[in-house]
Amino acid sequence: MKKFVILLTLFALIAVPVLAKKGNKITIAGSTTVLPIAQATAEVFMDNNPEINISVRGGGSSVGIAAIMAGTVDIGNASRHIKAKELANAREQGINPYENVVANDGIVIVIHKDNNVNDLTLEQIKDIYTGEISNWKEVGGPTMPIVVISRDVSSGTFEVFNKIVLNNAKCIDGALMLASNNAVVSTIATTPGAIGYAGLGYLNETVNAVKIDRVMPSKKTIQNGSYPIARTLHMYTNGAPKGLAKRYIDFILSAEGQKIVEEQGFISVK
Amino acid sequence: MKKALLIVILTIVAFGILNAETKLKMELWNRWTYQTIDGEVTKNEMALKRGYLRLEPKFGNNIKGRFNVDFFSDEDGLDGAGLKIKYAYLDFSNMLPIKDSKITVGLMKTYFGTIYDWTYQTIDKDPSDKYKFVSSTDYGFGVTGYFPNGFGTYALAAYNGEGYKKTAGDINKDLNFVANLRVTPIAGITVGGSYMMKTKNDSEIDDSLGTMIGNPDREEYSMIAGVGKFAFGPFSLLTQYLMKDKNKPNVDDYEKVNTTALSFLPVFKVNNSFDILARYDIYDPDTDTDDDGYNTIVAGFNYHIMRDEKNAPKLFIQTNYQLKQYEADDSDDVSELMVQLRWIFSETINKGK
Repeated sequence: MKKFVILLTLFALIAVPVLAKKGNKITIAGSTTVLPIAQATAEVFMDNNPEINISVRGGGSSVGIAAIMAGTVDIGNASRHIKAKELANAREQGINPYENVVANDGIVIVIHKDNNVNDLTLEQIKDIYTGEISNWKEVGGPTMPIVVISRDVSSGTFEVFNKIVLNNAKCIDGALMLASNNAVVSTIATTPGAIGYAGLGYLNETVNAVKIDRVMPSKKTIQNGSYPIARTLHMYTNGAPKGLAKRYIDFILSAEGQKIVEEQGFISVK
Repeated sequence: MKKALLIVILTIVAFGILNAETKLKMELWNRWTYQTIDGEVTKNEMALKRGYLRLEPKFGNNIKGRFNVDFFSDEDGLDGAGLKIKYAYLDFSNMLPIKDSKITVGLMKTYFGTIYDWTYQTIDKDPSDKYKFVSSTDYGFGVTGYFPNGFGTYALAAYNGEGYKKTAGDINKDLNFVANLRVTPIAGITVGGSYMMKTKNDSEIDDSLGTMIGNPDREEYSMIAGVGKFAFGPFSLLTQYLMKDKNKPNVDDYEKVNTTALSFLPVFKVNNSFDILARYDIYDPDTDTDDDGYNTIVAGFNYHIMRDEKNAPKLFIQTNYQLKQYEADDSDDVSELMVQLRWIFSETINKGK
């Protein structure tokens, strides 16, 4: 037992200097959907506070949450809610994931610009993604095979789409699984029969957005809840944000920060 | 029954690998051990102490499988390479009207103490594995799940009772039952407990009696684990108390055997690459017998050379110095220095299928 007490004392001696840290830096990682918000707000925040350095990287929602659990970042971005397993593991490790909602977003169903289909039901989209519908003519479009494009399974966007639209049904074999919102939009822009989905902020003039159950995705329809594939975007911190992370998140939630959120194509939480 | 279950699970897993998104993972433990007893070198060896190949097919979002084959270059003095099937189970999520619960069937984890989520921060095994309270996996079925808001986890399971190592020669016919609960009321403070009820030869008919009632070979075991975890910043402490009672209720003069173990495992994470740790175990195989137990002291560190994108270990070195001190005066202390290189690689195939 004596030897064990000596070991514990050595522990304490090493612990003291390690516990005393750290400089004017905020580290952020996670969701590629939240990435443009983090990057754009970080730029302005650093301009306003030149003494503070913010490092932002992507990786996906799972990576953001894992990084908060490991204590390797100050903020973990996620476009989905934390899962029960992640939350239980985090709390056992002494991490208390705190969800800061920084924006609202809609997942937009995107098709090629030349495709004349402009309205689908949630059921039709599910049938397309599960292979029940395989040609555009079955939904009032041209006679053309449907090329199904999805996000990779580690993506928060995939998880939200999977839950709301697919209701956890299996996506068709042979669907293209792409790693980012940008990749989905740019692939659809060059593939006439393609259908995919991406965050509202990634919608551009190279592709068409489709109404769902006659509701067009827009700031108004997402905010009033009439557009069915909507979600909140999150920045997770260990406990309620404090110090530099709090200053930065407060900035995102300020009028100036929310304006940047909207400029990036997302919807303000205010 | 055991073989039939294994064949069914293996068939499903094989089908899954071909047709479903499947995670392939391999881990290898290369270890050098230098052991001395009373100043004499009794072991100086390098070995592949453990390796495993794991396949995790995903059949949609609600059904997942795990197949795990363990291999090693030596174990318990046996020469040559060995191979064992460690896991072959299927998880069925969202089958019960309880949120975040799942049903597991097959060769699965034993939800007792910390054996089911032991991450080998020390090279040595989980206490209930090391002191043979339970086997780490067994054939059975169970329900596991998470309480809301990260409040904790629960598990209820029934097992064959033999573990994964036994072969057809000596199979017990009675089931084991396990209940496990772990709660985290405040982030960083976790308490939990497990109870296992086990009988042996309960359904055996005694030749002399002509009935199973009063069979003198009947054995009853009850096992309890108490777990306390404390984690604050870079410091964590895991404590565990284990107790096992063995009884032969149909033998009048049989004296119950009570076995206990107590374990402390403090870990300090210096940074994302370096952990230092210690461990202190007290083991008493029979509390009514003097000087039959031993204590183990461990000090060491883990140096992480690489981690994956989710910060999980990928390549790291573990170094442990371990001193085993026997209570009996005529037994010499055993000291061991172990250096282990663990490397892990994984890939997901058929993504999104």
